[in-house]
Amino acid sequence: MSFQLLLNFFVALVWMFISSSFTASTFIIGYLIGLLMIIITRRFFTYRLYIWRLWAAFKLALLFLKELTLSNISVLRLVLRPKMDIQPMIFALPTDLVEDWEITLLSSLITLTPGTIVLNISDDQNTLYIHAIHVDDVDNAIDSIKNSFEKAIKEVSRS
Amino acid sequence: MKTNDVMLQTATKLVFFIIFLFSIHIFFVGHYTPGGGFVGGLLTTGAIVLLLLAFDLKTVQKALPFNFTIVSAIGLLLAFGTAAASIFFNVPFFTHAYDDFTLPLFGVTSLHTAMIFDAGVYLVVVGSTVTMIQTIGGDK
Repeated sequence: MSFQLLLNFFVALVWMFISSSFTASTFIIGYLIGLLMIIITRRFFTYRLYIWRLWAAFKLALLFLKELTLSNISVLRLVLRPKMDIQPMIFALPTDLVEDWEITLLSSLITLTPGTIVLNISDDQNTLYIHAIHVDDVDNAIDSIKNSFEKAIKEVSRS
Repeated sequence: MKTNDVMLQTATKLVFFIIFLFSIHIFFVGHYTPGGGFVGGLLTTGAIVLLLLAFDLKTVQKALPFNFTIVSAIGLLLAFGTAAASIFFNVPFFTHAYDDFTLPLFGVTSLHTAMIFDAGVYLVVVGSTVTMIQTIGGDK
């Protein structure tokens, strides 16, 4: 991914030198030409095109915004309820993510959505301990996080 | 009990550079807008303190192998040298000179010797505060 980005920047720079005009618009034109060239020669790379990773990151951002809105509304409904019949709970979430930044991103996303807070990360980084304000069914809560955020983060980091 | 602070360390690796960049910006805009050597120095110290909080003292001393007492000494020399340079031009002590220069990349820039004085202040602030914190934190 980073190599493709560097190559694209290099092609854009060379384009600027060839056309001997050092402006932003020339750089953007060169960048687009470099992108086209990388797409044409995509068979030479052993991993995905970086635009797919950018697309996955964009989808993750959209998913986060959706989850943020929905969980805000559900917490608001819990707060406005006259009777307090909530079921707070601390549960362990097993995670398959390996890299430090992936774990950090997942913990931040879980903490930023209202109703769930990451309390601790285990030493071997395989388990996240999460406090949730209202849990009907633990397996259900784990599955929902795994299928939304973790899947999207894996999609971003997949080479 | 030692907790796993992977989240703090990963965030620090990113945020350190943002704070450092902002401190450089604050240092340079001090002539026309709020900012300057003192605040810039304190912000740089803040970035180093964040590193000290996320990692341990030995790691940070390996990563930034400066003797911070010498850094503050260099800062004092810079500030005093800028003030004393006025002796050679037969003007009162602490008289600053400035002029407009055309630099590559920057265009027309007004260069002022007060900036060199400010760099001295910056180095003194960074050196002294980091020395204080490292000395207090290094006590066993």
